Amino acid sequence: MVEFSWVSRSPLEHALVTGTDGARGIEAGISLTEIRNFDLIQVMARRGQAAELGQAAKARFGVAVPDAPKAVRTSDATLIWSGPDQFFVLSKGGKHTMQTLEPALSGSLSDQSHARVLVSISGAKARTMLAKLSSIDLHPDAFPVGAAAATSMDHTSVTLWRGGDRTDGQAVFNVLMFATFAESLWHTMLDSGAEYGVDINHTERLA
Amino acid sequence: MRIACSFCGERELGEFTYLGDAKPVRPEAGASEDEVFDYVYLRDNVAGATSEYWYHGGGCRAWLKVTRNTLTHEISSIEPAAGAGAAKVGA
Repeated sequence: MVEFSWVSRSPLEHALVTGTDGARGIEAGISLTEIRNFDLIQVMARRGQAAELGQAAKARFGVAVPDAPKAVRTSDATLIWSGPDQFFVLSKGGKHTMQTLEPALSGSLSDQSHARVLVSISGAKARTMLAKLSSIDLHPDAFPVGAAAATSMDHTSVTLWRGGDRTDGQAVFNVLMFATFAESLWHTMLDSGAEYGVDINHTERLA
Repeated sequence: MRIACSFCGERELGEFTYLGDAKPVRPEAGASEDEVFDYVYLRDNVAGATSEYWYHGGGCRAWLKVTRNTLTHEISSIEPAAGAGAAKVGA
């Protein structure tokens, strides 16, 4: 009998090579970091029960869940709007999983932890590079910290939101993409950023 | 053309899929063959304001009911389609 090893691996395990890509001899204008091993639960209200779900979620997380395209930080999770009456719960370390959330919330829950890839984009040229991929206006006035969008990049559905700024003040854009589309989108992002120089990393840390 | 999704705001056309005429109403069970034929196959080719369904598949995946002028592409109203994707909309 064949023995299988069920170790979770990133869909970008082969495509992502840490180091520098694209333009050399200049300071990299783009930083691409894949965040690995997160817990991601999609929560959707059942028809007509959005208010009940909102109350239960507020009791659980201590903040109002986003009812418009926004990402809300709690002490140990990020709640990201993903459509009308639905949101993602993104966290690390098993704090918010199907087991812990299902008894607490009244909606339909679905574990997306291994179905998505999370890439964080920052750097001086991040907006310029993203402008090649996205039709969303990412100007700080239009897309401040906490803004989110369910949108498409390179014909692929993604969830995009602006996280907290880096310590050097640079904006951080998080892109949550379908696992099976991640490698394709990853190469598109590398190509878009090549002229500015790209720093490539992966981390276990959720900013 | 851009469509202002009721949930996401203004987005490019590429994020949307056109479903079709929002006007036909499904006939009652027991309706005549002509009525069913009309509902399934016959469409008006309107030069002017039409009501149509659009799907924001490249975004929030909500169904929208859009009133669009076929001559100018001017959109005069957009609302979430009944019972399609949004729990806050009546079934």
